[in-house]
Amino acid sequence: MADPSLFRLRVVFRKAGRLALLSHLEVARALERAVRRAGLPFAVSQGFSPHMRIAFGAALPVGVGGEREFYDLFLTRYVAPAKCLEALRAGSPDDLMALECAYVEHAAPAASVAYPLSTYRVDLTAPVGEWPVPDAVTVVRKKKEKELAVAEYLAGEMLLADDGRSVMFALEAKPTGSLRPDKLVDACLALMPEKSRPQRAALTRIAQSDGTTTL
Amino acid sequence: MPQTNLWPRLRPLLARVERPARYLDHEWGAGAPAGDAFSFCMVYPDTYELGQANQAVRILVNAVNAADGLAAERAFLPAADMADLMREEGLPLFSLEGCAPVGEFDVVGITLPHELAATNVLEVLDLAGIPLRAADRAEDDPIVLGGGPCALNPEPYAPFFDAITIGEGEEATPETLARIRELRDAGAPRAAILRALAAIPGTYVPSLYRWRTEAEAQEAGSWAEPIEPGVPAAIERRVFEGFARSDAWEPTVVPYTEVVHDRLNVEVLRGCARGCRFCQAGMMYRPVRERSADNIVAAVERGLAETGYDEVSLTSLSSTDHSQIAEILARVNGACDGRGIRVSVPSQRLDAFGVEMARLVAGQKKGGLTFAPEAGTQRLRDVINKNVTEDDLFGAIDAAFAAGWRRCKLYFMIGLPTETDDDIKGIASLAQRAYDRAKAAVPPDQRGSVRMGVSVAVFVPKAQTPFQWDGQISPDEVLRRVGLLKRSVKYKAVDVHYHDPKTSFVEAVMSRGGREAADWVEAAWRRGARFDAWTEHFDEDAWREAATEVGLEPEAIAQVTREPGYVMPWAHVSTGVSTRFLALERRRAAAGETTPDCTFGACTGCGACPTLGVDNELAAPRVAPAGAGATRGADEGAPRAGAPEGGACHG
Repeated sequence: MADPSLFRLRVVFRKAGRLALLSHLEVARALERAVRRAGLPFAVSQGFSPHMRIAFGAALPVGVGGEREFYDLFLTRYVAPAKCLEALRAGSPDDLMALECAYVEHAAPAASVAYPLSTYRVDLTAPVGEWPVPDAVTVVRKKKEKELAVAEYLAGEMLLADDGRSVMFALEAKPTGSLRPDKLVDACLALMPEKSRPQRAALTRIAQSDGTTTL
Repeated sequence: MPQTNLWPRLRPLLARVERPARYLDHEWGAGAPAGDAFSFCMVYPDTYELGQANQAVRILVNAVNAADGLAAERAFLPAADMADLMREEGLPLFSLEGCAPVGEFDVVGITLPHELAATNVLEVLDLAGIPLRAADRAEDDPIVLGGGPCALNPEPYAPFFDAITIGEGEEATPETLARIRELRDAGAPRAAILRALAAIPGTYVPSLYRWRTEAEAQEAGSWAEPIEPGVPAAIERRVFEGFARSDAWEPTVVPYTEVVHDRLNVEVLRGCARGCRFCQAGMMYRPVRERSADNIVAAVERGLAETGYDEVSLTSLSSTDHSQIAEILARVNGACDGRGIRVSVPSQRLDAFGVEMARLVAGQKKGGLTFAPEAGTQRLRDVINKNVTEDDLFGAIDAAFAAGWRRCKLYFMIGLPTETDDDIKGIASLAQRAYDRAKAAVPPDQRGSVRMGVSVAVFVPKAQTPFQWDGQISPDEVLRRVGLLKRSVKYKAVDVHYHDPKTSFVEAVMSRGGREAADWVEAAWRRGARFDAWTEHFDEDAWREAATEVGLEPEAIAQVTREPGYVMPWAHVSTGVSTRFLALERRRAAAGETTPDCTFGACTGCGACPTLGVDNELAAPRVAPAGAGATRGADEGAPRAGAPEGGACHG
């Protein structure tokens, strides 16, 4: 698949504000349109239904924002990263703004699996004294209920901030699947007494890493 | 006065509903909040996915924002889950740009896109907290304007609107708003504003007309009687005279969530003079006005660059009729080459030329092609003035399947005036012979993949057409004829699909009803009817019980056939096409005589040009391709009509 004549540009962007409510598919379509508005020399796939050569990082659920999200765009000719960034910024809405551009090697792992470790921060509507974590989370997959063991996906602890208003945690994507950060947070909240239970004010992926390097 | 911003109240609800992207605003190309300007809220009475792509919404928001001191925002009906949640939480209907209560706007405009949107109009008003009936509105309630295709028979909606614009709104809407602003600034009471609006050409103010009895109406030639001097007895449709010369590039909002027709839409021409006798659009957008190839190509290039869309559609009722279509497609293809952009061209042409145009833009991927012969026999096609022969259809099929298409859908109507069982059997026969032709046109090893679909809709008599006097067949009779059709189709590779006759029945009542139908709509809405065009929401019982409650006999409205002399409930609204012409066309239908398309030849005397003071405006002369002969009469063997009329072949 890797065509050595193409240039693989990695674009870091944010998913912020009210656009955190977009689905992965909606974000992907919006980014493709931003690339077209930027007028970059993107490559087009061959075949019956030609489309832009673009690959997205690991998906975020509806309602979850990201401070440093990314996609890989294949260009047919070299354009200085600073020029790419300038063009992309002119064609992007503020809440999906491009932040950085850099070329990466063709041999680098595919965008969707490049950074299996995601760090999230959840902001709460009211401070809490402690943060309970369940052993398992029940999710619905293909209309079937399934129990996911939290320990299998949670990397390290869920850390409650000193002011009790936010929690940081990291989740690892497995080849067999992932635990959604919003489902985990909701399961934690469900363990609190209903009276004193706060809500999620915002849930954001703040970093992605492969264990050694961070995006 | 600055408007309330409801976003802080809306935001927490969005985690609890489907597709929150519908309610976010902030799309690429979205406008600014109205702020302190005189504010207009343009409402499409269905969800964002259906409304955002709507041409009227785009055109009118742009036109109002371009006018000095006026500002427009958009609003859509929330989906059922969101509407229920908003009621629970006491959140009123909101606009997108400013997230302001629709009830706080100076003027609210609701477009009437089709007959099944009536209960949604009431849902919009109720969610906005605006009294449903104009008569119940207070001085500081918004002025509620209507418009759109269904305004051609405004009566079933009349009590719900303060004023209704008949025809094209590019000029009429900003003009109407400016007048309202002027009067509001001068402190004029609501009643005086409405009286002033009645003086604006193309504006119907229902409260200024008394609804006559049937006997009075037949005697007077109109059901609507002005209640005071100075109120016009007839309202003439507005036409945007500058359409052809106006810029084909129109600022466009690019949605985040997927909507219907989610692509760059460039309107290449307006109007269609083919003259199909069942077709309202073919009567209501006359005369035909084409934008030039240069204008269109420039708009496509600019539009793709500014929106980032990967698809462009050259829209109109039949874009392959544009006199410069081959040049336009060649230039658009050149401009899009290598960028993974799809081009689509809606078409009514049913001939090899239409297929050639579809082939030009199809690229390697060929999905299905759709043709609309509309009727199964030549006799009935002549009755409806669908000037297309079997040879035209077979020529198109040969060309399409030789060019690589493997699937084809044929559209028909059942219940057309004069239809007999032979015409129904004719549909089966035509589809099977079309399948044989298609098979013969492809290599033997690919014949197994050839599919021919037959899709049948029920004829709905439309106001302002030659068939407005004709009744609809009953839902039971629809099912009998569909059964006959299904039994007549012997080929496994030919599938038959049909449209639910129950919704078509409501459509017919709304299409032909008078002012009494408004009570029926309100009673149905009170019983829970909404989103009637959505199969999963359509509630037949609500409509039936509502009819009993208000004492309306819907069958009498939908199914009765009248003489062409009968004065219909929309006689006070004129599209420019004269009732005399409609009646003449109805008589020609009975005699099986066809009428040619005036854009290819002589005037047919419909009345639109002289009445409206606008002529057909073509970018270049239209030339009928080879094979199409002179005007053809009723008999089967004569050469066919001057125009290459035909079915739809959507690329």
